[in-house]
Amino acid sequence: MILEGPTYTDLHAVVDEVWSAFLGPEDPLLPALPDTGLGDGVTWSAATSVTGAWNGVVTVEIPDVVAQTATERMLGLAPGEDLSTEDVADAVGELVNMIGGNVKSLMPGPSALSLPLVARGTIASPSDLTEVSCLDLTWAGSPLRVSVLARRDVPARATDKQESA
Amino acid sequence: MSIAESSFHYVADLVRRETSMLYEQGKEYLVEARLLPLAREAGDSDVDVYVSRLMTDAAERRKAIDALTINETSWFRDNAPYQAFTDVLLPQAIAARQATRKISIWSAACSSGQEAYSLSMLLDQHLPLGWTAEILATDVSTAMLGRVKAGRYSQVEMNRGLPATHLVRYFTRVGSEWEVSADLRRIVTTQHLNLATTFPPLPTFDIVFLRNVLIYFDLDTKRDILRRVHARVAPGGSLLLGSSETTLDLTDSWEREAVGRVQVHRPVPAAGAFGLTAPTRAAV
Amino acid sequence: MHALIIDDSRAMRSILRRIVTDLGYDTTEAEHGQAALDHMEGGLVPDLCLIDWNMPVMDGYQFVQRVRDDPRWRDVTLMMVTTESEHGQIVRALAAGAHEYVIKPFTPDAIVDKLELLGLLVAEVPA
Repeated sequence: MILEGPTYTDLHAVVDEVWSAFLGPEDPLLPALPDTGLGDGVTWSAATSVTGAWNGVVTVEIPDVVAQTATERMLGLAPGEDLSTEDVADAVGELVNMIGGNVKSLMPGPSALSLPLVARGTIASPSDLTEVSCLDLTWAGSPLRVSVLARRDVPARATDKQESA
Repeated sequence: MSIAESSFHYVADLVRRETSMLYEQGKEYLVEARLLPLAREAGDSDVDVYVSRLMTDAAERRKAIDALTINETSWFRDNAPYQAFTDVLLPQAIAARQATRKISIWSAACSSGQEAYSLSMLLDQHLPLGWTAEILATDVSTAMLGRVKAGRYSQVEMNRGLPATHLVRYFTRVGSEWEVSADLRRIVTTQHLNLATTFPPLPTFDIVFLRNVLIYFDLDTKRDILRRVHARVAPGGSLLLGSSETTLDLTDSWEREAVGRVQVHRPVPAAGAFGLTAPTRAAV
Repeated sequence: MHALIIDDSRAMRSILRRIVTDLGYDTTEAEHGQAALDHMEGGLVPDLCLIDWNMPVMDGYQFVQRVRDDPRWRDVTLMMVTTESEHGQIVRALAAGAHEYVIKPFTPDAIVDKLELLGLLVAEVPA
């Protein structure tokens, strides 16, 4: 069976709107060069899951510097002000919440959106999830990744060919 | 980093030549903000590099002019003009058009079409049964006219002033965008039109919205535009301008009337042509 | 004028607080619907509630239903500010009694535009 996910264009539009609305339009999101990964530094990961007519998980992975800058801008603080880990986790969680909610609307509904889960480091994806869309981007010189994973919630049917009336 | 003076002058001259719109000194930040995304898209390191590209690349020049002539726009912008439309202008037009039962509206400098579609929603709600209406949306930017025809808006655009009840009634989701209903799209037709030059053949209109665009032109061009628009407003019809715009010193040809919180401008018939003549209606 | 800002994200409450404070509002914040109801049971009658949908303890949809069921709060204007953006969800929220609906992400202008529609702009807004 083919797992359904949002198109690259739609996912990019969603992420771009979230980024430009809350982190400012002056630094655009750009496609990452093919060979750039997320780097070796500290990474923040956030995930939110969608359950219902479509089942999947939306994840955002960003390096510490992006997480810090995002938090400063969302909280209206000057660059370099002290941020608690809770503040950063909260801001990163809100980013994945907004992206996840809009991804949910791209897929068949109705479905429910979970509260975000945020971790420093990476979140391992359960084995029943398959990546269906992935955006590798750079923002203000730093990499970030947004992925959509779909859940194989229905065991593959022996015959899932034709539907007769 | 900011745009070099020579780049700014080149861009300001280009836009003035092509559209008669003025980018005066002090608007450097605006030019930069609008061209930076295009520069990045073209792979140029900054706006100055991009401007030198414009000097040799006509297609890119077209894109730059489109980007520089975009009006930021929202649904039911400023509210009061739409209130005046519903309460006074539309009922007047209906009274005047009992014979044809057809209302004709011009949304000039329509940009991405929020004004035209806002008006179409009000027509859907207030036009009597058995009547038809047509909204002509014109703009100097062909890219913008394409957007109006598609009738699709991003999430961020949808949030700008559109009542939620209208969103659920007139729009459906298409991917990450929202699409205006086919019924409303049928009312709105588009046509390329540069306000600063001679108009193509146009019918006369019962109501003309020419809002927040005169501010971009110099005084002589403003007068010229108002004279040409005058000929396109039906006798007894109305012209709405932006809240900071006026019909200048053209007091012989326009009279003002306060309707709610807005000024409505009515064309004064030319001497000798006084009296109610049926408006001529050219094909669109 | 008083706005009750209900969102489980501190960052989002901060964004909304700055927007409405600039418009001349006093604000109270709550991190979920129940905390907001507690404020109102304690005597706070806001002019405006800005309400997220997905929150722990009590979500924004339930909060709207609870407020609409209580005649003490019939003059309170309810505006959803949420990432829930399906057509059907917006219809549900309006049917439950929400007056307006802003979809995240939004720009500050969007909140200003909606408050103007609702007749809730109190201060002069700089152009």
